[in-house]
Amino acid sequence: KMAAVAAGSLRRAGWRLWQGRAVVRCQLSPPQRALQASAVLRRVSDEQKKEPSASSSQQQFDSHPTDQQPEQEPQGPIPSYTGQGGQESEDYESEEQLQHRILTAALEFVPEHGWTAEAIAEGAKTLGLSVAAAGMFHSDGSELILHFVSQCNTKLSELLEQEQKQVQLGEAEKKPIDQFLRDAVEARLRMLIPYIEKWPQALSILLLPHNIPSSLNLLTSMIDDIWHYAGDQSTDFNWYTRRAVLTGIYNTTELVMMQDSSPDFEETWRFLENRVADAMNMDNTANQVQSTGEAVVQGLMGAALTVSHAETSRAVR
Amino acid sequence: AAAGLCPCRALLPGALPALRRSLRGFAAGPQTHFGFQTVTEAERREKIYQVFESVADKYDVMNDSMTLGIHRVWKDILVHKMNPSPGTLLLDVAGGTGDIAFRFINYVRSVRERQLQRKLKRHQNLSWQEIAESYQEDQFKSLGDSQVVVCDINREMLRVGKQKAQDLGYSEGLSWVLGNAEELPFDDDKFDVYTIAFGIRNVTRIDLALQEAYRVLKPGGRFLCLEFSRVSNPLLSRLYDLYSFQVIPVLGEVIAGDWKSYRYLVESIRRFPPQEEFKAMIEDAGFFKVDYQNLSSGIVAIHSGFKL
Repeated sequence: KMAAVAAGSLRRAGWRLWQGRAVVRCQLSPPQRALQASAVLRRVSDEQKKEPSASSSQQQFDSHPTDQQPEQEPQGPIPSYTGQGGQESEDYESEEQLQHRILTAALEFVPEHGWTAEAIAEGAKTLGLSVAAAGMFHSDGSELILHFVSQCNTKLSELLEQEQKQVQLGEAEKKPIDQFLRDAVEARLRMLIPYIEKWPQALSILLLPHNIPSSLNLLTSMIDDIWHYAGDQSTDFNWYTRRAVLTGIYNTTELVMMQDSSPDFEETWRFLENRVADAMNMDNTANQVQSTGEAVVQGLMGAALTVSHAETSRAVR
Repeated sequence: AAAGLCPCRALLPGALPALRRSLRGFAAGPQTHFGFQTVTEAERREKIYQVFESVADKYDVMNDSMTLGIHRVWKDILVHKMNPSPGTLLLDVAGGTGDIAFRFINYVRSVRERQLQRKLKRHQNLSWQEIAESYQEDQFKSLGDSQVVVCDINREMLRVGKQKAQDLGYSEGLSWVLGNAEELPFDDDKFDVYTIAFGIRNVTRIDLALQEAYRVLKPGGRFLCLEFSRVSNPLLSRLYDLYSFQVIPVLGEVIAGDWKSYRYLVESIRRFPPQEEFKAMIEDAGFFKVDYQNLSSGIVAIHSGFKL
């Protein structure tokens, strides 16, 4: 980023020379963007007084006469800048962090507006930004949904980690696998309850081609997390089967939840219980199938050998 | 860049003697360009004002004939990219004949209609009392508080724009202001979106215009610029040059009776910095998340930045 800014400034200086301008401004080397008092990107240190302090330094900058060169640095309160380059200096939040803040604020408007750019615009308004800030995101609301899903996954991980700590400290009993999986999936699906009306819309957006890589990524990492905390340490093909099975359980339960109108989604949890039980049985069945398979193969091999012996002995006779 | 200009210079009889003239005399004030001539900043402002004064009446017709009507698509794409929601305050600088402003109003109106339809659907189960109250609240405004201010430095262009608005029936949410992009007559932190379509290459001090844009935008506000830019494809570039320098001034003479203005137009396009350089200038003014989108393989580009 620093190199790009320096290259850009060199190019501009050359362009002005070609035009015949008499004044050539020396460019200072550190990137100037973090130093310019940004209107909204606030110092991570002072959480509360964001807008007033930023706008006052902005006004100080504007009070300079307008015929000065634009690259002049503001004389206002300059934060302690350690020259780390780009917008990510120690004291200012980055654009991504601001975007996260906007999306988090937008979640509260989802029940009313759905997963749309309108919800993002309302969220931006609550942070004191213009509604045009929603233009930073895709107009179909994908980023909002992905942000929400990633937030839920993080909450789930924290929950599971806490439970694990409790078990390690001896405060709680270690749950059997099926109970553990049931509780984890239920906890995760309960996070959807406030947005359940608009969730089908979200699912359809997540299935759009340009979103599939990210949504698939989030889904697989969540399933991976659950199995990790369930104590799965398999290194063979079981790793794949277990994750595939749990993904199937999660997706089908989610779809059932969309249709469920029973009080506190009892039907959904019962469905979940049955599916997990099936999966446990399937595990046993899988082993049985494997040993039966081996037996069948051995039988076939034996039969083939017998047949070939019979052939050769007939040929010899 | 100089090599690329040589074949073109052969076609412009006036440029070389003008250059020699300016090199001989040292005019007061900083030098800048007017098309391929070198003039002072004051002279440039004067000349550009005269250019637009003379083309104002035929501006729209010439746009259509020069770009074969594609400029309408470009402007539509700009407003779609903006995706304004009802309640947005737009400042359209160098907006002259009002193309962007009218499109903005149409877009906001249709979004508002959809919003109202959705509201009405939800209102199906309300009591009569609640429905009466909602009518009183005057929620059914067709534009939903959106407004657009069209600002232009040229009186003639504004006059043509006002006339067009009257003819097409746009009255609500529209205002016309005479102003200079380098020194806007507005307060700080006022507008949600600032657009400048095919106007910024006519501004003498682009850096000042960008700073003014930054100043008048609200925090979180968006800067959008639609402007001619560099074509990267070499074959297309040759065809484009041919068309620009041979056909457009002729069209200008035939339709508007003014080939000099249209030669200036074509030259000013060549003088404008390419996409990346302009992006750097916008970043210098303090905008974040600056990006550009090429339209028609680079003939036109939309630059977008946010005041964060």
